[in-house]
Amino acid sequence: MQRAALTTAVTWKRKDLLGLEELSREEILHILDTANGFKEISTRSIKKAPALRGKVVLNLFFEPSTRTKASFSLAAQRLSADLVDVVKEASSAVKGETLVDTGRNLEAMGVDIVIIRHQQAGAPALLGRSLDACVVNAGDGTHEHPTQGLLDIFTMREKFGDLAGRKIALVGDITHSRVARSNIHGLKKLGAEVGLVGPKTLIPGAFKDLGCSIHYNLDEVIDHYDVFNILRIQMERQNKGLFPSVREYHHLYGIDGNRLSRMKTDVMIMHPGPINRGIEISQQVADGKNSVILQQVSNGLSVRMAVLVLVQSAKEAHGA
Amino acid sequence: MSKAILVTGGRVIDPATGRDESADVLVLNGRISAIGSFTEQGVRKDHPKLKELETIDARGLIVAPGLIDLRAHMGEPGHDSEETIAHGAQVAIHGGFTTVACLPDTDPPIDTVAAALFVKRQSEKAGFAEVHPVCALTKNREGRELTEIGQLIEAGAVAFGDEQRVNDEPGGLLRGMRYAAMFDRAVIEYSIDPNLGGGAMNAGYEAMLAGLPGMSSVAEELAVARACMFAREAGCHFHAAKLTTRNAVRAVKRAQKLKVRVTAEVCAHHLAFTDEVVRRQYDTNFKVFPPFRTADDVAWLKRGLTEGVIDCISSGHRPVPPQEKELEFGRAPFGAVGLETTLGVVLTRLVATGDLPLMDALAKLTVNPARVLRLDHRKGSIAPGLDGDLCLFDPKLEWEVTPDALTSHTKNSPFLGSKLTGRARFVVTRGRVFELSGSSARR
Repeated sequence: MQRAALTTAVTWKRKDLLGLEELSREEILHILDTANGFKEISTRSIKKAPALRGKVVLNLFFEPSTRTKASFSLAAQRLSADLVDVVKEASSAVKGETLVDTGRNLEAMGVDIVIIRHQQAGAPALLGRSLDACVVNAGDGTHEHPTQGLLDIFTMREKFGDLAGRKIALVGDITHSRVARSNIHGLKKLGAEVGLVGPKTLIPGAFKDLGCSIHYNLDEVIDHYDVFNILRIQMERQNKGLFPSVREYHHLYGIDGNRLSRMKTDVMIMHPGPINRGIEISQQVADGKNSVILQQVSNGLSVRMAVLVLVQSAKEAHGA
Repeated sequence: MSKAILVTGGRVIDPATGRDESADVLVLNGRISAIGSFTEQGVRKDHPKLKELETIDARGLIVAPGLIDLRAHMGEPGHDSEETIAHGAQVAIHGGFTTVACLPDTDPPIDTVAAALFVKRQSEKAGFAEVHPVCALTKNREGRELTEIGQLIEAGAVAFGDEQRVNDEPGGLLRGMRYAAMFDRAVIEYSIDPNLGGGAMNAGYEAMLAGLPGMSSVAEELAVARACMFAREAGCHFHAAKLTTRNAVRAVKRAQKLKVRVTAEVCAHHLAFTDEVVRRQYDTNFKVFPPFRTADDVAWLKRGLTEGVIDCISSGHRPVPPQEKELEFGRAPFGAVGLETTLGVVLTRLVATGDLPLMDALAKLTVNPARVLRLDHRKGSIAPGLDGDLCLFDPKLEWEVTPDALTSHTKNSPFLGSKLTGRARFVVTRGRVFELSGSSARR
């Protein structure tokens, strides 16, 4: 499994990373292998590589984010890139210049890679086709969050190796989850079996057409899965009448010590964060021995370094 | 003062009379005078007082009645930077349309006699296609107080409807239908239940993948079925605008079987695309309302056209300026221009594919909409005494839809980059001949 970065045979040709849906199995593995090489850098005392020296990476965040933005920032800095942060108020973006105008202005200042998080699905695609710069999707509406999907898969592969035939459950609000979509696309391409668990109002039946199984009763399938990836439940969904109360949600789908004890003994518990402790996951489980939540965070750094290097190399190879 | 236009050697297709033959058409002083075999000398001999005779060589062309559009948003008043009535009427001519019904969702809405007269005056002044107002059924399109329907008809209203009503007031619609029935006018109801509205594209598999909020097809079925019931209660002619879903087509079919007076229409672009196109880079030119649906829905729309459940095909023309279409998909406004592509789309995606015979397709663009608008006493057919409105099109002309090939101010067409076969070459209306071949076709 340990391979040096940038030596795999697959050539990466995309200047943008918009989602995992459009990637092939080989492209996904190529990113993960590249990330594996970068993981080693994090263990050195001097955590720097020169791959993006002289390049400018821009964080363009239209939504609040702590860990994703910090992770991308650190990834860029470890690759010796210059980093610019732009935080946009969504409301001013509506009234003021359009996303495309913003992008073109920033590009005119010599930005090489734009990392964008946006409330609107498709915003990174719009930016990607308007700019010569690379565009990396850091989460767009309820569409995709590809680097989160990749780091989740990276973490699963560290424990299980090949994921073919592995049983992975995603629990919670699937409808509104970009993390779920990126996980599903990536995991299906690697041959995993994917189950979705949650209330019917938060899992559209159309997900069956993606090859996922759907379960409304968590307890019936609790010992079936090797991994439970627990999604954050957002309080505003309750206000929209999609589930009756937090208490009922916790009762039906919350992962606590009792439920953990009925899972496979080596089950992996994941959460993309931020956690609502005591709602979708209990304190005890989040901090317990089956939890890999902090590993996910540290692996995120390696995955994002890999992505930044690959998109930039594709852009340079195509003479942009 | 008299002027004649002689159209020679074309294939005359007139769905209203079933005529399909090679013939000449003589237009005298703006009206159809005769169909038969004529020479210039013969015409001059028969009409000795003739001052001017213009001859169009229509060999290789199909001579149809001037096309009639039920659904064009003109933007004026209120949004005349997008499209004025005068310019929209000119764009219509480029598409082969000689009559256009414009919709009341303007600012202010067309809900007063003054506003209706304004539309007529702008149309008269421009001298291109005739633009007739569909007036609001209720004041300010709010679904509560009725507009002055009787006086609006005298001012030129051809039908009534509120478009996207601000509030859902079912009582207002029912009362409006009762009142409009008294004047034998159609109520055109916009077929989406506003309470179930919202969303950027069709709900389903594609919306799930795109991560965009979906519009459920049941919202359309509910609104159409409800309006059918109201039409039955009110004894009113209900025209179901721009159907897009299987179950809405079935709701109309059921009502028609029960002898409720319901006609229906589909926009040309809804026949050409499914919701799969949205994820092609989230191109906002594919954002229309109602949204593009599934292949199954499109098949049902075609079936509805074949069976006669759907009587009319409209352009659904709605200009949107580029700075608004350049937004993120979820934020961009709905709408597509369509006046200049409708004929080509019908010929390419409906007639050439064998889904609908040419005669039937033309009926849905001429006599049928004329009947919905109560204009069939003077429009929609090539018969002596009717208005001399003709659309001469080349059914074999291949053209690519490019921004330059469209004369509309805004270019928000989902067909950009598509090739269509068939385009208007000459349009005759109001005693004038518009030759279109050089200016826009075959670029």
